[in-house]
Amino acid sequence: MVTDETFFAWLDGELDPQEADRVAAEVAADPDLAERARQHRGMQSRLKGPFDSLLEAPVPEPLLAAVRNPEPEIIDFAAAQRSRETRRWTPLPQWAAVAATLAVGIFVGTMVPHRSNAPVEVQDGKVYAAAALDHALNTQLASTPGGDVRIGLTFRDQRGAICRSFTQTAASGLACRDNGRWQVRGLFAAPEGQAAPYRMAGGMDPILAAMVEAAVAGEPLDANQERAAQANGWR
Amino acid sequence: MNRSLTFEHELAAMLPRLRRFAHTLSRNGSDADDLTQAAIERALRSKAQWQPGTRLDSWLFRIMRNLWIDTVRSRSRKERFETPAEELEQLGEDPRGAIEASLELQRVMAAMERLPDEQREVVALILIEGFGYRETAEMLDLPIGTVSSRLVRGRTALLELVGM
Repeated sequence: MVTDETFFAWLDGELDPQEADRVAAEVAADPDLAERARQHRGMQSRLKGPFDSLLEAPVPEPLLAAVRNPEPEIIDFAAAQRSRETRRWTPLPQWAAVAATLAVGIFVGTMVPHRSNAPVEVQDGKVYAAAALDHALNTQLASTPGGDVRIGLTFRDQRGAICRSFTQTAASGLACRDNGRWQVRGLFAAPEGQAAPYRMAGGMDPILAAMVEAAVAGEPLDANQERAAQANGWR
Repeated sequence: MNRSLTFEHELAAMLPRLRRFAHTLSRNGSDADDLTQAAIERALRSKAQWQPGTRLDSWLFRIMRNLWIDTVRSRSRKERFETPAEELEQLGEDPRGAIEASLELQRVMAAMERLPDEQREVVALILIEGFGYRETAEMLDLPIGTVSSRLVRGRTALLELVGM
């Protein structure tokens, strides 16, 4: 006598060799059981075949894109602060760090013609804010209505340096104090055909947001703390 | 090699199997691809929790199965039992590729849809995805005897639903 569970375990190759032999012998000797095995094997192949066709089918482009270009979670700082007790900052995904480097390289390449009013300049292999951007980072508060440059968040990074996110015309970025200057850590062009301020209305650029999230220590400064940091020379 | 690139590479290679599993659980092709997309997104967000050296497929299938359960539970039973006829009509209008919309696939998806959820997931993992009983029990956090008895009931019902 073979129970249902044992019969199917045999059919699925789940029995150890000795028991499998025993069940195989019973099935061979019992036409009803043999017929049942045949029916179930047939059912499985009729069931599985159409699903298997998906293994050969082209994967829809949106799914491929989801793997290639994962979107980091957009940070809602208010929510982050509310849940700070329970939430751990997630580390910046490695691809985002890579993307950030590339974004600086590519964008700075187009942005650093040798003009005196270029917003960034390169010194000793580091990219620093210059001209209007440097001026805005030094003097503007988040509440200041922006000209070309608007300031977003001001915070201390994990090494204790003051960092500020900013938006300038078609780009947004992050700059941190380094040897008395604003070192640009990331600079991201707005997607084609979309000026950054327009996009910023809906939230921070997701790559920039991920970068901020990875760098920030504690909470972003509030308006009073921001003013105090300015008075202290952003140290 | 950069761990992150490896992970995304392996995830991309798993997409056809993830889609197949999503189709075994879902009501129609577009639900299946929504489920696949959600699973990819969750996997990328929680990739730090995956331990290299362990099986990526079981880990991904578990993520997908949990997302599916969340969806199923948020849908009312009433809705689930009243809509099938309407869904069958919609399937015929699925504008996507011929393979996904094939009648055979629609037929087996409709058959799977008739199974209770707890039988469907066991049938999907063992009879279609080819996992062992023990691997399935671990993925679903169930005793192996429960997996085996749900499988008996599921496949017996399918004998009528898809034919022998």
